[in-house]
Parts: sequence; C-alpha cells; structure tokens
Amino acid sequence: MICRQALSRGSQLALRRQGAAKLAQRGFAAVASPKASYEPTTIAGVKVASRDDNGPTTRLAVVAKAGTRYEPLPGLTVGLEEYAFKSTQKRSALRITREVELLGGQLNAYHTREALVIQANFLRDDLPYFTELLAEVVSQTRYTTHEYHEEVEHVIHAKQAKLDAAAVALDAAHAVAFHTGLGAPLYPTASTPISSYLNENSVAAFAEAAYTKANIAVVADGASETGLSKWIEPFFKAVPTQSQSSLSTSASKYYGGEQRIARIAGNSLVIAFPGAALGANQPEIAVLVGLLGGESTIKWSPGFSLLSNATAAAPGATAKATNFAYSDAGLLTIQINGPAAAVRKAAEESVKALKAVAEGGISKENLVKAIAKSKFNLLSGSEVSGTGLVHAGANLIHGGQPLQVAETVKALEGVNADKLKAAAKTLLGGKASVAAVGDLHVLPFAEELGLKI
Amino acid sequence: MPVAPSLYNAAVKRPWLMRMLKPLASWYANAAGYRQMGLRADDLIVEENETVLKALGRLSPKESYDRVYRIRRATQLSLQHKLLPKSEWTKPEEDIAYLSPILEQMAIESKEKAALDTLTVLKKH
Repeated sequence: MICRQALSRGSQLALRRQGAAKLAQRGFAAVASPKASYEPTTIAGVKVASRDDNGPTTRLAVVAKAGTRYEPLPGLTVGLEEYAFKSTQKRSALRITREVELLGGQLNAYHTREALVIQANFLRDDLPYFTELLAEVVSQTRYTTHEYHEEVEHVIHAKQAKLDAAAVALDAAHAVAFHTGLGAPLYPTASTPISSYLNENSVAAFAEAAYTKANIAVVADGASETGLSKWIEPFFKAVPTQSQSSLSTSASKYYGGEQRIARIAGNSLVIAFPGAALGANQPEIAVLVGLLGGESTIKWSPGFSLLSNATAAAPGATAKATNFAYSDAGLLTIQINGPAAAVRKAAEESVKALKAVAEGGISKENLVKAIAKSKFNLLSGSEVSGTGLVHAGANLIHGGQPLQVAETVKALEGVNADKLKAAAKTLLGGKASVAAVGDLHVLPFAEELGLKI
Repeated sequence: MPVAPSLYNAAVKRPWLMRMLKPLASWYANAAGYRQMGLRADDLIVEENETVLKALGRLSPKESYDRVYRIRRATQLSLQHKLLPKSEWTKPEEDIAYLSPILEQMAIESKEKAALDTLTVLKKH
C-alpha cells in the first residue's frame, strides 16, 4: 500500500524542480523584453503596476502621494512612516511582526520627497497575506496615543540624531532650489520645531487625506497578475475612494540660491542645477550624470569619471553626481563630502570640469563611457528594485506611465557630444543652488566657485 | 490579573442577578469610604508595579493631573482626620473606571506576547 501523502510529495517535488529549471533557463534577462517595465492596470479602483519575472520572491509596495512635498505640516510624513505596521483594528503591532517573521517576510516603510512607500518583501506564495496586511496598514491603523509616545517619538529622535552633514546639505540645496513643496526637508533635523505640529491626531488626519484610492498605487514586482487581481479587490475595499480633505499641491518652481550652515561634525557641499523631471524627455541630463559620475565602479581605484578626476587632487574628498527626478521638476546635484579643505579643492575642480564640458565638449571615448554608465544606472536601478519600484509607483500616483525601459535606453543611445555640451552650457548659464554645511571658514562661496546664483 | 477579580461580567449577563446585586454593590461602594474622600475606585489600584506605572503613563495629561489632585486631597484629609463636605463627595456617576480599561488592554497585550513567545510552528511541508 502506498500512502497518499508519499505520492503527492513526489508530484510536489517534481513540480518544484520544473519551476527551478524554468528559473535557471531564464539566464541573462533580455534588456528590451517587455518584462523589464512595470505594466500599469487598475484593479477595483486601485492603480496597480506589476512586473513578473517568475522569481521566488515578491516585492509588494503601497506608494502613497504623501511624501514631504505634500505634508501640510512639517514632520507628518515622518510620523506616518513610523506608524506603518503599528497596531491596527484587527491585530497588534507585535502580532504583525511575529507573523511576518514566521512567514520569512521583511517589512519596510520609507519616504522620498514625493512618495511614502510601505513595502513588504516575501515568498511568492504568501501574496494574499501580505496584500491583506498592506491594505490593513493603509486603512485600519489605529494611530494610538501610547504608541506615539512610547515608540514613534523615540524612533524619530533616533533618526534625527543620525542625520549627517551630507543629508543636511542635500536638504538645504533643495530648500534654496524649490523653497516650499520639494524644498521641505526630507527628514526634519533635531532643531526643526516639529513637536507642536506632530502628534497622533495630526498624523491620523494626514493619513485620512493621504490613504485614498486616488492617492495610492500598489506596485508589485514578482507577483502574478491573476493573484493580484484576485486579492487586491477584496482587501483594498476598505480604502476610501476620496477624502474630504485633499492635499495641497502647487507646481514646483526653481529659484536657486545659496545656503551656508555651520556644523561641527562633517563637511558637505552640494552644487545643484535644474535637472530632468520624471518622464521628461531629457536623456542628455542622464548622460551628463553618467559623465560626471563620481562613484567608482572599479575596486581599489577612484575611477575615471570627471568627478573622480576632480577629487584625485583632493585626497579624502568624495564627489558624486545625481539627478533627483520628481514629477514636475528635477535637480541635478554634485555632492562633495570629506574634510573641509579637500571639499573646497574638489568643488573648484568639479566646477572647472563642468565648465570644460560646456566650453570644449568631450571626447568620443568619454561619451561612449558616459552613455554606457547611464544605461547601467537606469537598468540596474529598475532591475534591482528599490528605485524601480518607487519610480513606478510615483509615476502612477502623479498620473504618468511607468518608466518604459526600452524606449529610455534608446533615447540614451541617441545623445551626442553637441547635445551634452548644450545641456552643460544651459546648466551653467542658469542659476545654481549651492549649499555648504560644515566648517564655513574653509568651504567656498558659490561666487568663488564661479557659479551664478 | 490586572485588577481585582470581579463578578461584574457574570452579573451583567443575567439581568435578574444584576437587579439583586446592584443595591448591595452600591451600598458597599459607599460604605468603603473612598467616595467620602473624593476618590474614585481606580485611584485605589496599587501603583507600585511596572504594569500600573506604564498604564499611568498612558493617561491623558488631564486625567493624570486630576488623579494626582484627588490623591493629594485624600492624603490631606486622612492627615486631618476629616471627610469632605457632602457636596464634594464622589457621586456614583462620577466614579468611572479610567485606569482599569488600560490595564485590561495591557493584560491582553502581555497575554498575546506570551502566546506568541511560546507558539509551536507546524510546517506544512
């Protein structure tokens, strides 16, 4: 007699092997395959972007239009972020944590300037559980007073204590570039007076306005479409379609200027220019970021990008170019960290390098390298999830389409030296935003660097 | 057990029992003497333990202030061997439980924690 369990066990194993073989077959993912981009759909009134590569794990996130740009009072985004996965009407925070531990999942809540992301990473089979959990967090969190005083407050203070010169400088650069909205600090510093604005009631009111079907998007990476359409509908039913109090939005405007903040520990200088917005057709900005580079891709070497060469003369300093893309504006930044004197030297060299691009253009070899680097940035960003997930969600909640990877790659390949030169010239011709944090006796003024503000 | 054992829940379910016990309970609460000193029943919960201290921390500032006021007034009365004038006695409708619901909530939480700490995982495969 053969016991039934033994029979079914064999078939289970066989099925699993088949799946594993399929995984192994995938091998090198084709860059231009449609799977590389998130597919937007709407399930029961909820905007959903999904991508399925048949991997064993899934990343599911609720991206809400509740970043620091949209907070009505300072600190509310941070408060809402810390309230994620706290006790809900159905279960306690402890139960949530323990259940997720048992399922081998990871929970994470973070925010960007525009979006608040509540994310769960888990094994593919647990989709129903985590869909329910995310919907519960969004619609049924209790925002209790004692959790605010016993947990949320302490975590916020601990995170404020960790803010370094680089984060402060980046916030300051955003503040002078955009004033309000995008200019709101990503994380309020310890000296920001938030205690009068931030409490459990104001956070609950903000949640009521932010967590509506119009305001959120569900982004799934590695979940089947059938699973999503089956589970999102029942669990997200409790999320209101619209709220009485809507969040204020005003279009971003670039101002530019200079800000200098004295600080004992750490030195940081941010030089920023208007960059490319999300979905804007400005591939030359992405290539310029690749050209400026800064972060070494080779071990034991500073690398050969323009900023790496600039910091070679200033040992100890690190420089990095980034384009922060938002829904209606962008900010191209060059951030330099390190000892004060080295930061000064590196800043001078960096601006010189940028001016050289604007005046003399660049060699063919450098252009090829820059395009390859920008392509890598785009693809690794969208593939290794993290940024791809947030960008897809952010695009959806702002009414755009998820990033079309294949088209964007084509656009990057079309950039030539003249376009790049023109882009650099426009940047230097306009107003820059400069933020210096640290030893102000040494750190240079924007004018000394030869920038217009 | 966060608060003293009570027959209250059993009595609430049986209206006839409630009707029988209510006068007795009211008489007892008045005879206990705390109302004559302006206290509430929950002011008598012993606060020298971690759970109650934590529960006290969860009171709203107003409730917390009022509690301290009532206890200080009662201490002073006890010292002077006096009772409050009858108009200031705690009325039965004022004698509400403000602390024991929090203690019960915390008891549920710790029970849940103990259950989760000692659970056994049954693997499906």
